[in-house]
Amino acid sequence: MTDQKTVITLLCERAADVDGICDKAGNCTTVDGLKVVKLPCSGMVQPLMIEGAFKAGASGVIVTGCQIGDCYYREGNRMIRERLLGERTPGLKKTVERRRVLALWLSRLQRGKFEAEAKEFVAYIKGLEPLAAAPAAAPKPAPAAKPAAPAVAPSEDKKEDAKAAIESKPTAETTPADADKAAEAKVDAATTSGDKPAEEKKAEESKAEEKKD
Amino acid sequence: MKTNIWTQIFLVTEDLLNKISTSKYNPLYYHGALPQFIMYILFLSGLLLFAYYVPTIDNAYFSKNLVNAYTSVAYITNDIPFGAVIRAVHRYAGDAMVVAILIHMVRVWFTDRYRQYRWVQWESGIVLLLMVLFIGQTGYYLIWDERSLLLTRMTVSALEVVPVIGEPLRNWFLNGRTISNLTLSNFLFIHIGLSFSLLFALWIHYVRMSRPVITPPPALNYILMTIIFAVVYFFPITATKIADLNSQPTSMDIDVFFLLPYAVLGALGTTGFWISMILITAALCLIPYPFTNKKPVESAEVVDSKCTGCSFCFKDCPFQAIEMVPAPAGSRFKLLATVKPYRCSGCGVCVGACAFDAIDLPNLLDSDVNEKIKQLANSQSA
Repeated sequence: MTDQKTVITLLCERAADVDGICDKAGNCTTVDGLKVVKLPCSGMVQPLMIEGAFKAGASGVIVTGCQIGDCYYREGNRMIRERLLGERTPGLKKTVERRRVLALWLSRLQRGKFEAEAKEFVAYIKGLEPLAAAPAAAPKPAPAAKPAAPAVAPSEDKKEDAKAAIESKPTAETTPADADKAAEAKVDAATTSGDKPAEEKKAEESKAEEKKD
Repeated sequence: MKTNIWTQIFLVTEDLLNKISTSKYNPLYYHGALPQFIMYILFLSGLLLFAYYVPTIDNAYFSKNLVNAYTSVAYITNDIPFGAVIRAVHRYAGDAMVVAILIHMVRVWFTDRYRQYRWVQWESGIVLLLMVLFIGQTGYYLIWDERSLLLTRMTVSALEVVPVIGEPLRNWFLNGRTISNLTLSNFLFIHIGLSFSLLFALWIHYVRMSRPVITPPPALNYILMTIIFAVVYFFPITATKIADLNSQPTSMDIDVFFLLPYAVLGALGTTGFWISMILITAALCLIPYPFTNKKPVESAEVVDSKCTGCSFCFKDCPFQAIEMVPAPAGSRFKLLATVKPYRCSGCGVCVGACAFDAIDLPNLLDSDVNEKIKQLANSQSA
């Protein structure tokens, strides 16, 4: 089994300044297992890129853009936020586990916050059981953890300004893109159950269970 | 990505404001929408003032003792219920508008959001600023106190020295050869007519932006109104002396928001005034054209064979740089996306919007990004 602890960050180059904590290749030096890919704007993040990261073996993805309201290119961070929330097409495929995706909206000065949140997220991902290698070969879901926490951001604090917990909303309208892809992607029981409307209670419960383990 | 000291100023301020108000209510994230909201305050309060204002210098409504502009303003202030409040709101909202516009301008300038694909917004913004300043000045003429008289005479002296068209300009401004009853109706026309022309200029200001942010959150509007009412309460407008055509007023209070050009006129004389005004305006207009070589934008490119004409990129482009055109003959699809390179900012939102890999930034192909993600995901972390 490949290393399951890699977390890929898709980062807007104008958001949190990570130059000091990353080498040229994109390996974060202070947070173990965190890799950074820089883009001109978080709006450039394709849901396909996130799916690709999981397909390539990453166990978590962080999307980081500027503070909502302050995109240099006007609306990039709003766009990707809406895509992740399933309010704008193209969105994330249902096969992607929502709790493994974290969105952070941080201004250039908030490197400390980025590090702290990323560290917490990496630790959270490490606590999860390993992802199945490819969605097509997904085995039967493990009963407890999977019907899971819709993207509960790792930390307890409810501040919405810095991060948006990505709710797992059932995307009612299927895009042409999704329709194409849906044919090849088997939507198994596990993933559909993961996409039920977010119920805070359930989320809390399953999280508590995870902690017990 | 390096940030300069100017951007840093705003980053620090905005970070501070985010801590106080959260990003949803950060006034600096609505720097463009706030002047627009103030404009509505001005329209509404101006409408109420318009109902009682008499634009003449004498001989009107003797029976009601309303003989000219000055006494009608006094009537609004003293006799109409809350007339003084409305008048003061109109006055201070005007000041607030100039402040808001200047903050807007400085922010887009300091954070580098004014040039290249944004030049139309910058230039139309300069026009809007000049319009607002001139509208504000005509507001000062309308009161018809001693200051108005002095301002009118100063303006006439400045207009008269303009070569060739000087005299027609003066005649247009005064609505005749000298100050007469018709003069103030012309001032009122300029004041109101230009105000509504702001809407046209705003249209040009917004024309290259998809979904411009023009409405601040109500909470910010309430705070702004509270501030304006507080200023109205603590600094009520004081009575001034009626204009007397036979007198020669020589000094006045300078309102820093609107009347600075008259301070320049007083200090430098008419020629110096025009030269400095033209230089300042030209300098403002030239700001987006730096004479150092800045990196040009590499605009997004559509891969025609992959584009399905779904128009997601067209909808999501923040700068209206993508146009859907009929697909060439033989295509399976009806439409094809095309990029207008002069409008493109190279931000890549269209790349994020495309589920078919049909649009690319030439300097950062999404296949390269995917490759990098794959490589990083596979590399073993130490």
